Amino acid sequence: MSKDQTPQYKIDITLILVLLFLAIISFFTINSAEDQIPEKLQHVNFARKQIVWYLLSLIAIAGTMVIDFDRFKYITWYLYGFGMFLLLGLEFGPSLGVSNEIILTLNGATGWYKLGPLGNFQPAELEKLVLILLLSRTIVEHHDKYPERTKKDDLRLIAKFFIIVVPPMLLILKQPDLGSGMVITAIVAAIMFVSGIRFRYIFALASGVIAIGALMVFIYLNYTEFFKTNILDEYQLNRFYGWLAPYEYETQGYQLRQALLAIGSGTLMGKGYSANEVYFPEPQTDFIFAIFSENFGFVGSSIVISLFFLLIYRMIHIALESNDPFGSYICAGVIGMITFQVFQNIGMTVGLLPITGIPLPFISYGGSSLLIYMVCIGLVLNVRSRTRKYMFD
Amino acid sequence: MKREAARKKKKSHLPLRLNILFFGVFVMFSALVIQLGIVQLIYGETYQREIARTEDVTVAIPVPRGELLDTNYKKIVDNTPLNAITYTKFQNTPQSQSLEVARKLAKLIEKDASKVTERDKKDFWMLLHPKKAEAKLTKKEWDKFKVKKLTDKQLYKIQLSRITTTEINSLSKDELEILAIKRELDGGYALSQQIVKSEGVTQEEFARVSENLDQLPGVDITTDWKRNYYYGNMLRTLIGNITTTSEGIPKDKTDYYLSRDYSRNDRVGKSYIEATYEHILHGKKAKIKNVTDKAGNLISKETISEGEKGKDLVLTIDIDLQAEIEKIIEEELLAAKGRAGNHMLDRAFVVMMNPNTGDILTMAGKQLEKSKQGKYETTDFALGSMTTSYPMGSAVKGATVLTGFQTGAIRPGDYQHDRPLHIKGTKEKSSWQNMGSINDLDALKRSSNVYMFLTAIKIGKGNYIPNGPLRLNQNTFSIMRNSFSQFGLGVPTGIDLPNESIGFKGQSTLPGFALDLAIGQYDTYTPLQMVQYVSTIANGGYRMKPHILKEIRDPSLKESEPGQVIYSNFPTVINRVEMNQAYIERVQEGFRRVMQVPKGTAYSSFSSAPYKPAGKTGTAETFYDGPEKNYRGKSTFNLTLIGYAPNKNPEIAFSVVVPWVSDKDQINKKIGRRILDKYFELKNKQNGIIAQAISKNE
Repeated sequence: MSKDQTPQYKIDITLILVLLFLAIISFFTINSAEDQIPEKLQHVNFARKQIVWYLLSLIAIAGTMVIDFDRFKYITWYLYGFGMFLLLGLEFGPSLGVSNEIILTLNGATGWYKLGPLGNFQPAELEKLVLILLLSRTIVEHHDKYPERTKKDDLRLIAKFFIIVVPPMLLILKQPDLGSGMVITAIVAAIMFVSGIRFRYIFALASGVIAIGALMVFIYLNYTEFFKTNILDEYQLNRFYGWLAPYEYETQGYQLRQALLAIGSGTLMGKGYSANEVYFPEPQTDFIFAIFSENFGFVGSSIVISLFFLLIYRMIHIALESNDPFGSYICAGVIGMITFQVFQNIGMTVGLLPITGIPLPFISYGGSSLLIYMVCIGLVLNVRSRTRKYMFD
Repeated sequence: MKREAARKKKKSHLPLRLNILFFGVFVMFSALVIQLGIVQLIYGETYQREIARTEDVTVAIPVPRGELLDTNYKKIVDNTPLNAITYTKFQNTPQSQSLEVARKLAKLIEKDASKVTERDKKDFWMLLHPKKAEAKLTKKEWDKFKVKKLTDKQLYKIQLSRITTTEINSLSKDELEILAIKRELDGGYALSQQIVKSEGVTQEEFARVSENLDQLPGVDITTDWKRNYYYGNMLRTLIGNITTTSEGIPKDKTDYYLSRDYSRNDRVGKSYIEATYEHILHGKKAKIKNVTDKAGNLISKETISEGEKGKDLVLTIDIDLQAEIEKIIEEELLAAKGRAGNHMLDRAFVVMMNPNTGDILTMAGKQLEKSKQGKYETTDFALGSMTTSYPMGSAVKGATVLTGFQTGAIRPGDYQHDRPLHIKGTKEKSSWQNMGSINDLDALKRSSNVYMFLTAIKIGKGNYIPNGPLRLNQNTFSIMRNSFSQFGLGVPTGIDLPNESIGFKGQSTLPGFALDLAIGQYDTYTPLQMVQYVSTIANGGYRMKPHILKEIRDPSLKESEPGQVIYSNFPTVINRVEMNQAYIERVQEGFRRVMQVPKGTAYSSFSSAPYKPAGKTGTAETFYDGPEKNYRGKSTFNLTLIGYAPNKNPEIAFSVVVPWVSDKDQINKKIGRRILDKYFELKNKQNGIIAQAISKNE
């Protein structure tokens, strides 16, 4: 097999256009929410800062695309080591005397490093990228090593997944950062699903997860005290109370009630740009979709969802086209990540899912997370650009 | 080739799996769109309505309290308007707003920081120095917090305890001012106006704030009011007090007030007239609808109701008379204090009432207190006329005689022999002089104790045997007390003020005490009960309900004219004494002789009075029971005088009570003469003015 040596970058224009639209929507929606931003943050122009982050992200995409994505394979373990180092730092740093000038605790979760003027950096975000790369590489190597792919081989692969994912996952859940934990689970699930593991194992794993969920509900209903002290804290449970009965739990349901009020009152066409009537404590992040939906109604919201769908569609397309499975797995991981975040974020604002602190990719304000998503997109574009059509394929 | 084959095989699964994945994505996104459709298209209008509904917020603005006027419509209490700077919090006003507003306001107004507590300062210091506050905690404590062994509150407490005084003192003067303002802003309840500063707001401050209102969310400028007492401390104990804005409505009656449209920081009457007539004095609040968006920003204001000033109370009190009488009491008290034997004397009371209507014209009480310089000063104790009680002595003898008539124990004109009585087991009981054979009129005129003793013995169906034991019927006390109560002695007078005392009843029923009861040395009565009792005799047997409220009027529109009458208090007869008119007339005659016939106990003081007074003196042997501990239990006398004038068709009844004074003193009669003189003097003056006015008009 010979490879064409002259690089011919193929750029996926559709995907880039979709991103451009999302960036524009992001800018205008953050700008629309600006009035409601708490007084202490009023001096920050979030919309303008978001543009700066988008520009920085373009450089990151370009940087990602310079090197053949295949090369990333070789640094995945180093990246994994680095990610673990950062997570361990968060867990043990405070007790080892790292000052809280460096490690940041927000809303009870120790999950950030302060990087001075660059803002705050969340290792859990990096971990998403690291896991996409490392898991994809693991599958490729596994398939190379066990081309027959017996049942035993499948189980072995599952075991490898667990060995890789469990340590960072535990550290992230301990921060506690349930949202990132869920996103990583989505990434793992998507990659595992396309890895070719037999359906029966996938069903078994899925049923296992469902069974554990059911068990939790059972324990909660029958041994509430035990559940609260050993499994989920009251504040985490509040999310569920607020979701299941927003009008009964005055405080717990507040955010959902506000979100439903904003989105619902937007009706078909919305109230028009910047015509916000419903107040959100921090509108520029997790509830940005509610603001948008209030402004542009069902039509606007459907367009945003369609844009995301188009984004996913392009990525599926790239994954299907790619002649290197490593690239396909990466795409699957990114698809899992973005799909889950979009579904979770929009789902929570319309009452389909409980409230979790997961931002809406590309639209919510957020520097470091945007950067990570864009690097992911960079990877996908990289996969696309290195895809060759073979005459006899 | 093996690898190649493997790749082929592997490739075969990827498209399928990716397509399934894509289908999954499709399903999830479809779910989002469907749910969006449900929320926006099906329930959209409901949410729109809900938004419209939650936009209006009504804020109640307090109105000035009603005024108090005297019987001649002279102002006793009114309100001074004050420029006020207010702050209103809405439900979704962010916490951070108060600090911002306080900072801005501090530049515009001066605010006294003396109310700021140390705890306030500590909280504020932490707010200003979050990093330094964080550094107050050790790593161990932070770690404990992270593993949830310490709560936020506990951490905060530790931080508070570690703030040093130097750190507290590091707050600059300006910062303290900001804090003082912030305290006021935070103190209010959502949706009710909180006064940030009302007293001492200068015109400049008022102007500066009003110019900058647009930058001060929640801040407004209005007019607040302050109670203005025209006669200083006069009657203050009766008028009572109102709560301050920071006290708000009384905690124990929160529900009562809240259900009546009060806000928690409303000022309400907390004692006596202010409290009793709270519902009248308190006006209807102005209501202003604030239309806010969901962010809590004010879009527009709309007045729903203008509100109504509290209604004015016209009291029966004649404030000029009150003032003169207080002056008389004061002078007499100070003069008496200089005389021998009056070291325990510290108070005197006068109550004057219209015996035909129950209008209280004057309710005065004064208490002597030694100032730091050792000089005596008087303080207002008007309240004592209805909340304190004393043995009243012979003044009650009118009631004793009438009880005798009523029970058939004696008949008008009956003679009895006044001589010392010797009852086994008790001290000799006698009058102040032996009067020999006297009838009922003499007994009243000269104040015979023995005549009353013999009457009481007859009421009790007993027999006086010199040196023998005395046996009386068990029901003697109840017969006498029941009869006394028809005059208001020992029962509530029914005055329209709270906390009225009914006096104390002696508990023992030994026969000897029935004799003491007959001369007013056993049960205690209040000066107010005494005036009701003498009025009942004066008006021919009608027990009038004393009252201090004459009219309720709408707020006056012109400064000089009182407003429209809404309610007028009509005289209320509580009961008609169940006695023959002739009996009452007999006692009236006795009372007349006390003051108008030689040998009457008050003849020397009143014989020259042109207004034909009638009355009864009283001297009660008693024990000191006042605030001075050294005197407690020492024996002393209460001097009293009750009366009315003129003796035919009386227009004024009064009682004078001076406890703990020498029995040689004449203070009761001196006060009595002077107050009656003053009453008629003022009345004639008033009539003169009216006569002049009439003649002018003609």
